[in-house]
Amino acid sequence: MNGGFHIVVCGSIVPDPLQTLAPIEGPTGPALKNELMLPAVLDPWAGHALYEAANLAKNVPDSKVWLVSLGPKAKLQQLMMSIAQKVSFELVVLDGPAGGFTDPCEVAAALAGGINGIAGLDRSRLLLFGGCSSASRDAGVTMQMVAEQLGIGDQFLGVDELTIQADGSMKLLERIEGGQYQVSTCTGAPAMLAWATGNLPEPPNNPQIGMMNMRTVMPALQKAQPAPVGAAGVSYLGVELPKQRRETRIVKDLSVDEVAREIVEWLKG
Amino acid sequence: MEKILFIAHTQSDGTLPNVAREALSAAVDLSKKLPGSSFVAGIIGQEANQAADSIASCGAAGFLSVTGAEFAVSRYATDAAAVEALVRQTGATLVVAPTTSRFSRALPGVVQRVQGRIETHISGMDIVEGSLQIQRWYYRQRMVATLTRAQRPWFLVIDGGVFPAWQGEPGSANAENVAVQLAADTLRTQVIGVQAPSTNTQTIRPEAEVLFVAGAGWTKKQADGQLHLKDAEELILGFLKNCNASLGSSKSLVDQSVEGEAVLPFMSHLNQVGQTGSTPRHPKGLATCCHGEEPHAVGWRFINERRAINTDANCGWAQGKADVLYVADAFQVMAKVNELLAQ
Amino acid sequence: MTVERQTMEVDIACVGFGPAMGGFLTTLSRALVDENGQPLLESSVMPGAPLQVLCYERADDISFGVSGIVTRGRSIRATFPDLNPADIPMTAHVGHEKVLYLLDPLGASRRSTGVRALDEVVKILSSPKDYSYELPYIPPFLRKEEGFVLSVGQFTQWVGSQLMASGLVQVWPGMPVSEPLIEGNQVVGIRLADQGTNKDGSPAAGYMPGMDIRAALTVVADGPVGPVGQKLDRHFGFPAGNHQREWAVGMKAVVELPETCTLEPGTVLHTIGYPEPEIFGFLYVYPDRVASLGIFVPSWLDNPVRTSYRYLQHWMTHPAIWPYLEGGTLRSWGAKSLQESGRRGEPFLVGNGYARIGEGSGSTNVLTGSGVDEAWATGVQLAEGVVELLKAGKPFTKENLGDTYLARRRNSWVEQEAKEAEKARDGFQRGVLTGLAGMGLTGLTKGIMNLGAKISRPYERVPSLEEYCREKILPSEIEHLRSESIAKGSSLADAVMDAHGWPQIPLDGKLLVSQQDALLMGGKVQAQPGYADHVVITDPQLCETCNPQLCVEICSGQALTYTEGGGAPQFDREKCIHCGACMWNCTKPLEANGERCNIDFRAGSGGLHSAEN
Repeated sequence: MNGGFHIVVCGSIVPDPLQTLAPIEGPTGPALKNELMLPAVLDPWAGHALYEAANLAKNVPDSKVWLVSLGPKAKLQQLMMSIAQKVSFELVVLDGPAGGFTDPCEVAAALAGGINGIAGLDRSRLLLFGGCSSASRDAGVTMQMVAEQLGIGDQFLGVDELTIQADGSMKLLERIEGGQYQVSTCTGAPAMLAWATGNLPEPPNNPQIGMMNMRTVMPALQKAQPAPVGAAGVSYLGVELPKQRRETRIVKDLSVDEVAREIVEWLKG
Repeated sequence: MEKILFIAHTQSDGTLPNVAREALSAAVDLSKKLPGSSFVAGIIGQEANQAADSIASCGAAGFLSVTGAEFAVSRYATDAAAVEALVRQTGATLVVAPTTSRFSRALPGVVQRVQGRIETHISGMDIVEGSLQIQRWYYRQRMVATLTRAQRPWFLVIDGGVFPAWQGEPGSANAENVAVQLAADTLRTQVIGVQAPSTNTQTIRPEAEVLFVAGAGWTKKQADGQLHLKDAEELILGFLKNCNASLGSSKSLVDQSVEGEAVLPFMSHLNQVGQTGSTPRHPKGLATCCHGEEPHAVGWRFINERRAINTDANCGWAQGKADVLYVADAFQVMAKVNELLAQ
Repeated sequence: MTVERQTMEVDIACVGFGPAMGGFLTTLSRALVDENGQPLLESSVMPGAPLQVLCYERADDISFGVSGIVTRGRSIRATFPDLNPADIPMTAHVGHEKVLYLLDPLGASRRSTGVRALDEVVKILSSPKDYSYELPYIPPFLRKEEGFVLSVGQFTQWVGSQLMASGLVQVWPGMPVSEPLIEGNQVVGIRLADQGTNKDGSPAAGYMPGMDIRAALTVVADGPVGPVGQKLDRHFGFPAGNHQREWAVGMKAVVELPETCTLEPGTVLHTIGYPEPEIFGFLYVYPDRVASLGIFVPSWLDNPVRTSYRYLQHWMTHPAIWPYLEGGTLRSWGAKSLQESGRRGEPFLVGNGYARIGEGSGSTNVLTGSGVDEAWATGVQLAEGVVELLKAGKPFTKENLGDTYLARRRNSWVEQEAKEAEKARDGFQRGVLTGLAGMGLTGLTKGIMNLGAKISRPYERVPSLEEYCREKILPSEIEHLRSESIAKGSSLADAVMDAHGWPQIPLDGKLLVSQQDALLMGGKVQAQPGYADHVVITDPQLCETCNPQLCVEICSGQALTYTEGGGAPQFDREKCIHCGACMWNCTKPLEANGERCNIDFRAGSGGLHSAEN
């Protein structure tokens, strides 16, 4: 491989996980109540992927990071003001819905189209990054489909660690059952890594990075291509909040010993 | 007429994982309820006969296998090629598979290749008027949808703990081997092995009877204005040891550890349950020092019996979500609980 | 390893994105390009580039926080003559306005003899069933006709997104500014908050000292408790006779009204009289059955354990209010401190290299209870002044800013009305009836006649617990409550309210929820790690003798809590909604007769991340 990596990160917005979410029946199927008013954050696992990408680009000379985002342009603009201060990237915007009730196949096709349109992208150096699952659809399938469309035959899901070894090959830790990791090596790019949390904290906000990114972020938003993804072929018969309210018995006045005894009896029962 | 293909991969000892037997139950159920459907099972692994024979009496009309050293390990390129071969060979319209890390990685790409569609994390299935409807969760277990689809092949990836594991007599399956041509670059990825995380693996036990959820309250200043991290660590680890419990934690608690604060060193994001973590299934759950509402409390959505210890009677982890809330100091209660359990 | 502090040069550095900054940046950005989009003003720090204007905002998105208001919107309409409320979520034209005097249906309210007498008169006039009396006449100075009810959060997001899309100015959220950079008597920029620190501010892993942003002009709009404004005040002092001694906590909620609610969008309801006579209430109705409501707890509510949350719930459940709300759902919740000194609270508005706009600059009109309109206007005035100076090539000296911005402000309706209003609330220092009478007198005589009074510092007004409780609680019981509070580290407000006859709130899990659940359901506090705590006890020794600790009792998010056995309170920033009430509710001055107390409210990251605000 000549030069560094070309890292394309797929990541979009999701409602801030702390928000109260309720489904409604929208004109094109299920949606979230007040979806466009809910504060949005970068999809958490995609966020980890972005920070890992930036870190990798920093450590491997001649690397470059793109962020490909499918979401409503106005909401993406708002989010970019936060993200753009953290790491350097070039933005590609696909203006479309970011809700959970879209079909991952359609989303993957739109993302693959967006990536195919990146000028100067060297496929032999391509590392496709994303989250292992979105916080909206939570299917965990989109990145694999994008990779397949881009002809990437080495894929990793739930990655927590990537090490570039001395010979240029990659060593990866993927989350598997039982809280364990599968350790693999891959000879190098191209590959797809769908990240879990990784090991990096969120980078600090850096005003200079922000100013640098702004030169490309706003034009990218202006150039956003419409991406009217939906869920053709899917019939939603109902979306509801789980009704799991339990009658909670509140025990206030027992002594510590009595509480402990009751808990132990319950555990052993 | 649906053509149902059940697929599974073997474990390193050649047997099927429990979650595969659960998905098999779903497939068997489908084949019975879908009039005129056909049903075939496919096994992937180094060797498939043991696994195929173990489910020989499941009612499948045929058994296929993809075997060989390349298929012994969990790797996208080989797994995708194997599943693709099985799907193409059978012309399946419904592909039923268990949620395993291996299939979660491999199936979506296969779906792309065969121009199908996929639903993962399926938590329920129904046949209504001859057509298949599935349930799955959206927004990290915060709302559940019932849906059906027109496209085929439709891959259905079944979550663990939803269906009972298939129980039946072993027999002779006479699995037919399906040859798979591997492209030259299929083995760019090599599996080295399995590694325990750097944190204490003893604390994550998917099969445990009890999930112990530790909240951020353990690392807050206590009533005396001091931190009691050492005590918290001893109490939590002591309980896990005594009770053989699995350890879950709230997001705020593991966030602290990522930030490098001097907190509970045995915790990592792997322990995190809830909105941005896992949603484990255990018969019992005990939450301590947690506070939060819906987004966080989804972490114990699939815990059957739930109790909580918290100093706040209005604790969002407990109100309406736990069976019992003890309004008490968890440090004191857990010390006593450990003492009683140790006896 | 020492990490070097970096410096960046810009033309104009701005602090805090609220209505004032919205007015400033909107007006300024329009002057930065010609009709063909070509830059009109060149940067002096990046020759050849357009003017570099950067604004830093603490919150994670621009303007989060529960902030329902009613405004005449004169300056906003002047900037956006074609403003259509339908373009902005949660905005409606003002419709029906009414003011209710609320009686106390519970007998728990602390009512002076005068208020009781007024109650008796009102009882004769009012319908007894809902314990309220609608004032037959709303004086013109209180009316908001032609204006809007709106959410400041949604409005500023709307403004901000247009600004950002223009690309002419940059607004950076999630970036607290810790202080102004002052060299001699010249402000030369701002210093951003350090990142990668421990809670005490000491460097931790990933330490990055806050960058210095140097600028020819620093525009300060960080509100009444903003750290940059505070530090300017400490350095430059106040003009003779000016001080900021009157405050209020506005605690607010956004509620989805029940389907049965018949209130029309644009309805404006104000209340006086309950839960305590000193507490004002409001309810503004947005489109789609959503309302913003809340109360104001003023610094002259002489209660040593004053709190907001429970009072808000008692107000909501008043028989005249509850029928509108019953069956509704809490969508968002929050609080903020309001600077209520008005023009008397004005700091030095301009100096060499800096100018101040908005609420922190004393622009709020204390007679009309209007702040957003005035704040926006001051931003517009500054922008016009700045453009004049830039075009003339003149430096941002105190004199030049005085000739341009200050002259505009002094000659505007903002100043004229602020002058009329200056003494409008002085009467409240002597009691709520005197206060109401004083407001009426000031309003009707356009400020010529006032009921004046000496303005006490907030801490000077706080009575002892014994004095406050003398009619309802025996001294022995007070002693018991106090010692229990110290021993257990528990709050006193609830116990004292219980003892005064306030009933428990029947929580319904939807609208009436515990304070912590309100914080989770409505507030959604973001507390980014890697920053120093922003609430700091300057001298913990001073807290040793403090009980009740009013900072703990008033704390909107219960982020400040007592320490078992006494001493300085604990601070948990994951619960802090940055209302700043602790700062002015602290009862321990740092020096005798001083204006500053023992809580330092500094730059902090995050705060509310409200769903609908």
